[in-house]
Amino acid sequence: MKRFSLKWPLIIVSSMLAFMIFVVPLYGASVFSFKGVGGKGHSWVNYQWLLHADGFYLNLFTSLKLAVLAGVLNLLLMVPTMVYLNLRGQKFKPLVDFLCILPLIIPVVSLAIGAQVAMPKILQNSQYELVFFFVIIALPYTYRALDTSLQTVALKTLVEASRSLGASWTRTITRVIVPAIRSGITGALFLTFALSIGEYTITSLLHWETFPTWTVVAAQQNILGAIAISVFSFVGAIVLLTAIALFSKKRVQRVEVEE
Amino acid sequence: MGVVKAPFRVRSSGRGTGVLPLLPFFIFTGFFLIWPVIAVTLRSLRGNKNEWTLANYRPILKAGPYFHAFVVSLKLSIVTTVIGSILGAFFAYVIVKYAHGKFGAVIDSISAVFANSGGVPLAFMFIAAFGTEGIVTIVLKKLGWDIYAGHFTIFSFTGVVLVYSFFQIPLMVLIFKPAIAGLRSEWEEASTNLGASHLTYWRRVAIPILTPSFIGAFFLLFAGGFSAYATARALTVGTVPLVPIIIGTLVDGNVVSDQANLGDALAVGMIVVATIAMAGYIWAQRQSAKWRNS
Repeated sequence: MKRFSLKWPLIIVSSMLAFMIFVVPLYGASVFSFKGVGGKGHSWVNYQWLLHADGFYLNLFTSLKLAVLAGVLNLLLMVPTMVYLNLRGQKFKPLVDFLCILPLIIPVVSLAIGAQVAMPKILQNSQYELVFFFVIIALPYTYRALDTSLQTVALKTLVEASRSLGASWTRTITRVIVPAIRSGITGALFLTFALSIGEYTITSLLHWETFPTWTVVAAQQNILGAIAISVFSFVGAIVLLTAIALFSKKRVQRVEVEE
Repeated sequence: MGVVKAPFRVRSSGRGTGVLPLLPFFIFTGFFLIWPVIAVTLRSLRGNKNEWTLANYRPILKAGPYFHAFVVSLKLSIVTTVIGSILGAFFAYVIVKYAHGKFGAVIDSISAVFANSGGVPLAFMFIAAFGTEGIVTIVLKKLGWDIYAGHFTIFSFTGVVLVYSFFQIPLMVLIFKPAIAGLRSEWEEASTNLGASHLTYWRRVAIPILTPSFIGAFFLLFAGGFSAYATARALTVGTVPLVPIIIGTLVDGNVVSDQANLGDALAVGMIVVATIAMAGYIWAQRQSAKWRNS
């Protein structure tokens, strides 16, 4: 009975706190981003500036390209690894687990300095070196996402059924396991994509130009424009992630109904 | 005591447990993760004439700007971790308790965005909200509270604390939520049946169980706050001396040191601090796993 009396006070207090901490700054920034020339009135002028600014499309495209590549490379590397780990390679799991949590331990700044020292020249001369480090940074999250969804399926049964029906290993992975762990794969892909597209530290320390580093440079010419970019990317991320969350929830429900 | 589960193994011995299928992973992490760390550590032990020396570490350990940077960085991460973990735990509890279904899923994804927002956009958003001309600043001034009357600026230490809390709190929500969700209702029922009040349940059962998870999350937040770079870089442009920022200026050549490999030593210093924090995290994880598996 006691809990009932606590319910609404708790919800009200936390909603108010969340409002002050999260909504107010976001709202403040949005209002600012719609300021007109010389800070007067409301207009789309800052967003228009954005679309015509030098390098906006170029850097947005670079970031999208690198993020997609990182997402794909990440799945190519991690899906077979995680499947094998959960199927046969149990004894290597602690080691892989440790390696995958290392990117959280090693400060990204230190990793960037290390990359400058350690990477061969041919790699350092190509912006595609960033793809490899984006995959590294995403490892802690992709490991969890894939591991969680692999543990919810009867992996061994699925594999044995598929293999005894004569399917090859490649076919088993692409036709049986991948569809079964689709939610984990979507999660891993999206996390890698999101982390890559916003990555600033390694990119700037290795002196490459992508969307986030361009934003910082652009801010020196037009702070209102930079604020518009920030609001744009923040709201975009929230809308996208929420849509994916709702979409994947629906999918799970449908599978349950089918069964 | 929890439910006793029989130990469950899929298969841990027999044929096909070779390391071969894992080689791509080990080669990848070895080359892009381990090798850079080894390389920076080795170079940090080299002097200007490429001789082996510990000289690069001296400026960190004696009073001066570099030692000071470590102190400021530690202070910043401790303060934001305290704020983030306490408020985050509170939010996590309310969310687990009262936000279910679709609404819960939306809150999850919003926390994920906010927790990973420790980047460039965050800095500009806070300048817009709390800068001298910021909307929040102006509204508060009209209400009679001039936040710029004292020493506060958004570009100062307090300003960075404010901004960091913005991603530390939702990060705590993400990490700590599973622990709260893991509190089994049987435990509360059992303690009620034994005559415990709600308060006693929290004091004697829930809080002791949650403590290791809380400590673990605390260390994780600390490590994250300690190594954050992008937000502070875009926000302060060096007005608050943080270790990552100083490393950045050394790398960019904006600050020239007479020790060529000082930046490497600072980077290794950060790894050491983060490793200590992570050791704390792993220890706490083990403690909380004891509860869950017994």
